[in-house]
Amino acid sequence: MASVIHACAVGELLSAYLDGELTRDELHVVVEHLDSCLECIAEFHELRDARTMLRTLPRLEVPDRALPDIHYGAELSAYLDGELPTGEQPVVFAHMALCEKCRNELYELDAARTAVRALPRLDALPDGSAHGRDGDANVIPLRRGRRSWLAASVAAAVLVLFVSLTSSDPQGPVLDLEVFSNQHVARESVQSPASLFSAELTAVDVSNP
Amino acid sequence: MAEELVPDWEDVARRYGRKIYNYAYRLTGNPDDSADLVQEVLLRVRKGLQRYTPGSFEGWLWRITRNAFLDDVRRRKRRPTVPLGDDDRGIGNPSPSPDEVLSSVRLSEDVQAALLKLPMDFRECVVLCDVVGLTYDEISDAVDIPVGTVRSRIHRGRKMLRDTLTWPL
Ligand SMILES: [Zn+2]
Ligand SMILES: [Zn+2]
Repeated sequence: MASVIHACAVGELLSAYLDGELTRDELHVVVEHLDSCLECIAEFHELRDARTMLRTLPRLEVPDRALPDIHYGAELSAYLDGELPTGEQPVVFAHMALCEKCRNELYELDAARTAVRALPRLDALPDGSAHGRDGDANVIPLRRGRRSWLAASVAAAVLVLFVSLTSSDPQGPVLDLEVFSNQHVARESVQSPASLFSAELTAVDVSNP
Repeated sequence: MAEELVPDWEDVARRYGRKIYNYAYRLTGNPDDSADLVQEVLLRVRKGLQRYTPGSFEGWLWRITRNAFLDDVRRRKRRPTVPLGDDDRGIGNPSPSPDEVLSSVRLSEDVQAALLKLPMDFRECVVLCDVVGLTYDEISDAVDIPVGTVRSRIHRGRKMLRDTLTWPL
């Protein structure tokens, strides 16, 4: 095929050179070599074109169906206990404003938590968790009063949230998420300075939720 | 580096869903398989995040993605892949500089078709590098091969791709 058969080993370094993946010593060798070797210069241009073609392939959108519904079942207990990381709490809160499924799950969890905490002969540990003494599973019926209190408070919170969302920004929850994602963008750009391209992708993703 | 927080799942879905989709599409040329893969990967990420400890998130994510992809390949025994360009809408790709004119006239379908002709080992490394935007270290981590192997696969992959595009079969 068309591949130039190279006498010099430097040709093998040219892709890594384009990607900024050479060691300092290698870089020195390549730069110096490219000053004089016409073959490698030609090879360099061809590889650069190939790389550019790949990197400018259109970014396809994910079909909607591929992005599943997102819920926070796993975080709800920590949410109830106020143990979520500060940044995550508003995200979960905003989600619940829109998601009946997670709200219902929160009620159930709260009821369960209340029941556990109301178990007789329990030591309440300093961290708020509770452990049964001798496995006596006295099932305490869920208490309606507590449940409806929580329901009311969440409903009120949801209402407040809606009002604040609609008055400030119609895309409310997205704002919270962007705080998160910006942190990740920052982290990513630290990790891979070479990948301009991925930064561009990220920028598109963020601006285009 | 200061804040190595564990990303939450919604964040991952939002930020990486599209990258995962493009990764799968460039490897297979098949939009349906690619959409399925995104779903599968996000499910696995969701399960895995609880056990994820801050480290190389990219490596971790793409290892999961790759495993899901390989499982899928095994399960399907790979249908023939068809390059198609219908929904190849360019979004956010930078406008080509003057010396990229030659490459910019290439239809993306040609590049896609050329990609699909590469042996999978090479195709994978090239896609992770040029489509996903991973560093060689991250690819080494994701694919579980030495960095030197990453380097030579990317190099040879690009050369093969160029040859295919220069002398189309
Ligand atoms: Zn040379
Ligand atoms: Zn939900």
